[in-house]
Amino acid sequence: MPSITADSFKTSFLPTWCPGCGDFGIWMSLKNALANLGIGSDDGFLVYGIGCHGNMQDWMKIYGARGLHGRALPVAQGIKLANHKLPVICITGDGDCLGEGGNHLIHAAKRNPDITVIIHDNQVYGLTTGQASPTAQPGFKTKSTPTGATDTPINPLTLGLTAGATFIARGFAGDTPGLTDLMQRAISHKGFSVLDVLQPCVTFDKVHTYGWYRQRLYQLDKEGYVPDNKIKAFEKALEWGDKIPIGIFYKEDRPTSEEVEPALTGAPLKDLPLTVSNIDGLLSEFI
Amino acid sequence: MQSVTWKMGGEAGYGIMSSGTMLCRTFSRLGYHVLATNEYPSLIRGGHNLITVRIATQEFASLNKDVHILVALNKETVDLHKEELTKGAILLFDPKDHTWQATDFSKEMQLVAVPLADIVSEHKGDPVMRNTVALGATVALLGTDFSAIESVIRDQFKRKGQEVIDNNIAIAKAGYDHIKTNFTNQSSMFLSKGEKKEPFLVINGSEAVGVGAVRAGLKFAAIYPMTPINSVITFLADHAKELQLVYKQPEDEIAGINMAIGASIGGVRSMVATSGGGFALMVEGLSLAGILEVPLVIDLGMRPGPATGMPTWTGQGELQFAIHAGHGEFPRIILAPGDIQEAYSLTVDAFNLADRYQVPVFILTDKYLNESQWCAPKSHFQKDVATNRGKLVKEEELATDGSFGRYSLETDDGVSSRSLPGMKNGFYIANSYEHDEQGYTTELADLAAAMAQKRLSKLVAIQKVGGAPTVYGERDSEITFVAWGSTKGPILEAMKLLGSKGKKSKLIHFTWLFPFPTEEVTKLLSPVTRLVDVELNTTAQLAFLIREHTGISITEKILQCNGRMLYPEEIVERISKVT
Ligand SMILES: Cc1ncc(C[n+]2csc(CCOP(=O)(O)OP(=O)(O)O)c2C)c(N)n1
Ligand code: SF4
Repeated sequence: MPSITADSFKTSFLPTWCPGCGDFGIWMSLKNALANLGIGSDDGFLVYGIGCHGNMQDWMKIYGARGLHGRALPVAQGIKLANHKLPVICITGDGDCLGEGGNHLIHAAKRNPDITVIIHDNQVYGLTTGQASPTAQPGFKTKSTPTGATDTPINPLTLGLTAGATFIARGFAGDTPGLTDLMQRAISHKGFSVLDVLQPCVTFDKVHTYGWYRQRLYQLDKEGYVPDNKIKAFEKALEWGDKIPIGIFYKEDRPTSEEVEPALTGAPLKDLPLTVSNIDGLLSEFI
Repeated sequence: MQSVTWKMGGEAGYGIMSSGTMLCRTFSRLGYHVLATNEYPSLIRGGHNLITVRIATQEFASLNKDVHILVALNKETVDLHKEELTKGAILLFDPKDHTWQATDFSKEMQLVAVPLADIVSEHKGDPVMRNTVALGATVALLGTDFSAIESVIRDQFKRKGQEVIDNNIAIAKAGYDHIKTNFTNQSSMFLSKGEKKEPFLVINGSEAVGVGAVRAGLKFAAIYPMTPINSVITFLADHAKELQLVYKQPEDEIAGINMAIGASIGGVRSMVATSGGGFALMVEGLSLAGILEVPLVIDLGMRPGPATGMPTWTGQGELQFAIHAGHGEFPRIILAPGDIQEAYSLTVDAFNLADRYQVPVFILTDKYLNESQWCAPKSHFQKDVATNRGKLVKEEELATDGSFGRYSLETDDGVSSRSLPGMKNGFYIANSYEHDEQGYTTELADLAAAMAQKRLSKLVAIQKVGGAPTVYGERDSEITFVAWGSTKGPILEAMKLLGSKGKKSKLIHFTWLFPFPTEEVTKLLSPVTRLVDVELNTTAQLAFLIREHTGISITEKILQCNGRMLYPEEIVERISKVT
């Protein structure tokens, strides 16, 4: 059997992202991570959101679903319950999963399905040509906030922490090796992993450029940070400004939503027989 | 008596609904036909709750207006319902609530005072157990042995332990004995012997949908609570372990339908259930199911809208909504059971149709069907169920050259073969954008048109297997009713009443509504001179559909939109008016 490489996911389509878009780095890292984990085209499932990020689907040969704007997570959970042996990863955007689908992120975190969600965090709605996203920093000027954003931005990390996600990390699209490693850890984590990826949108964000991030980013693990404490994770997750941490903020073992389902102790649901063996027993309550 | 109608009313929270169910079970086990419907406001305590049970020796299809026994757990019940009582009816009441006199009633009445509260406290029972005293008394009034209800009480409280069972039996027995001792000559409501031979189930519409679903192999349901589909949730959640299925309570209906779609892509039979408001939230997801061509079953339990409307009442306002819901054009199938047996059978069919044609299939139910307790032969629910998963490929059937096209355009019926994620060589993407045969996004003009045509062409194939409406009644009739869903029962009973007045009538009843069986309906309706459309909505949605597809316009309509089911007598009355 040929071994899996980043090239295994090649399709006949070429990316349509703007040259220099942070999505390239995320895409590259994902292919590397999957290859390193031995997950090939037939072995995993990607659920994409709607946005520039989700366009990845056409240049990613692996089983997948591209549903509605904001609804990647419910689809992902459905797939996971139908076939809990299948690795499931969500490719989503800050608009997709913190705006339109914010509720789903909270509830997925609470349930803790063994799913990894990768948030392409670019502070804008790229595909609809540059409006503010829920993570837009105060003062950030976009097409929908011409005098600067006024709201408090949503912080995907603290949101994930409060909602109950069991793996919380942040990566940078401009650091492919580091991001690949984070992705591998997120995917390998048994439980709900939230990986926020700082992703420069070179077309609609002239502020948060690669350089802007590089000046500020620092690696949590290099500081001796151990991701086992929720309160400390909060403190770190709230850091933003001159110094911005990346790496794993928090990790916890908790039963997954699949593990707590009595029907999912053995073969996946999809392989179970359709027939009811004890019809009499089933009907006895109605006599 | 051949048929007795019994009502129990009182404040919400006093076990009124479960009393009706227990009475149904008691008499069903004794060989009678039974039906119970409930009426209650959308709150948990207080407010007026009512259950009506009809018990008869012969098969019947709905309640009628005669009420023979009224059990009043408070004074309000008598104030509200005394006019419904037939001449000579029994009023069973607790003198502690109010002392009723013969002069309080316009008709002759048999007043049966039973110290419900005192009996309960003598047995150290909870005050809510007055219903149990009344149940025991009822069994005596109907001339039946106490043992009949004893076994039902045992089963009802099985999970609560022997002490609870014994206490309930003692309290019911005291009610029974009270009648036997104090009303020795009271035999006016004694029932003739029940004639059913085989075992029957007592089951509500939602439970029948649940049984149908699991018999069809349902493995995943994501259902956000909403009246009137809540008992589907209870049923599935209760049986999740033994039946090896997953019920998930989603955060909202949007998540629900998207989860169900995900599970369906993953390869399991999946469903959602909701009412109008929840379905409104699902509409974008419905459209997703349409373009992804995933099998999906939707139990849409109707109640009066708009918006929150009247949550605990019934209606048929969502037919046109279900037909037209969803942006873009895609095929769907809409079924609507008229009774409990159809609720079960059509649910089984729905799963097979969904898989066979890879489309969303609706089961349009309603509060009346879903929450009424019906009886039906057990054998109906035991029959072998054939499952057809349609063009679901097996891994070994897939070509190894990677040529598999999940959305292949080469089909004879618009349905392409479907692989499941994880199958070697079955790669595809379930893409909500218009896509090519493997699911990659496309905006090519010819390809986009071909895909749209492929999907829509399923309608032609589905139409071939689509069900014609069922005709009940006499061939040459003066009156032909046209109806769908659960108004079937009252209309069948109305036809009996018309028959007894020498008027011949028939019913053309639709359980298959979309794609519309145009040819069959045109054939059936064209020769008819007097068509009467009966629906529980304001806009005559079926009549509209018939006109749209056949050009036949039905001018005579019996419409009701007050949240209540029609009584057969009301149908007859309204027929006479239009004559
Ligand atoms: C229901 C719905 N509303 C709006 C849209 C339009 N829309 C498409 S992508 C998008 C925002 C995408 O933003 P984000 O998730 O941040 O992704 P990005 O393009 O930045 O990668 C919106 C609003 C849609 N497709 N569906
Ligand atoms: S608009 Fe921004 S996010 Fe979208 S592809 Fe271009 S650079 Fe990337």
